[in-house]
Amino acid sequence: MEQPFSLTSEVRENRLIITTSGYVNNVGGEAIAAEFARHFEQGTRHIVINLGQSRVVNSVGMSFLIEIIERLQDAGGKLVFTDLDPAVEKMLSIMGLFQYAGKEKTVGDALLSFHEAGKPGP
Amino acid sequence: MPEGTTLMSDAVTMKITLPKIPDIELVALEGLDRLARHLGIPDEKIGEARIIVTEAIINALEHSGEKNPSVRLEFTMTTKELSVFVRDYGKGFTPGSVEDPDIKVKLDSKNKRGWGLNLMKSMSDDFRIESGKSGTKITIKKLLL
Repeated sequence: MEQPFSLTSEVRENRLIITTSGYVNNVGGEAIAAEFARHFEQGTRHIVINLGQSRVVNSVGMSFLIEIIERLQDAGGKLVFTDLDPAVEKMLSIMGLFQYAGKEKTVGDALLSFHEAGKPGP
Repeated sequence: MPEGTTLMSDAVTMKITLPKIPDIELVALEGLDRLARHLGIPDEKIGEARIIVTEAIINALEHSGEKNPSVRLEFTMTTKELSVFVRDYGKGFTPGSVEDPDIKVKLDSKNKRGWGLNLMKSMSDDFRIESGKSGTKITIKKLLL
């Protein structure tokens, strides 16, 4: 049986990394949004959500992530998903989330993508 | 083993009625996983089926309009295909009146939800819905190849 939801978070170089475990339902989605909000209010604008240990998610939980994307868009920030199960990745793709959020294989890749995006142009 | 589980040489069927209690859909997913393991289907083949079943159950329990809703669920799985039948006993709705959600609209809306039907349709290989005053029936086929 899928484990109950839990999350951990850490900040590296002003980037928030949220790692979830277990079923991301409405309770899980709300917990992610609350953790995001706590850091967003302190100025964090680059977020990584590692869903690698959540192979079961539902659309109610994912709808909270749309709220995160909306707030980041308004503030010039960015969300990147990592470690996605292929089925979860397809779900987020159908919902259109990758039009507004990134996806990378690993947290390290996501952090690197923020650095690349922040480099000055030629 | 859940109510009505039958084992045949090339197919397994599970029937179960789920009440509306938090995370009850995980009971169905446990059954789905066990049927897949019984048939030797690799875990990665049923990832999308998990999402379809989850959405079907939470949608039925949330929107049936019953005071004490329940959902009747039936899986039939072979090594090649999963059939899912989901039935609620609620007030029904007009499926054609439900617009497909659009992320652009959702970003600007207070209502970020309403993805269930679209996800079930998009992730399944065949999707049928019948709805009327005595409830809603959804029949889904998902290839497992």
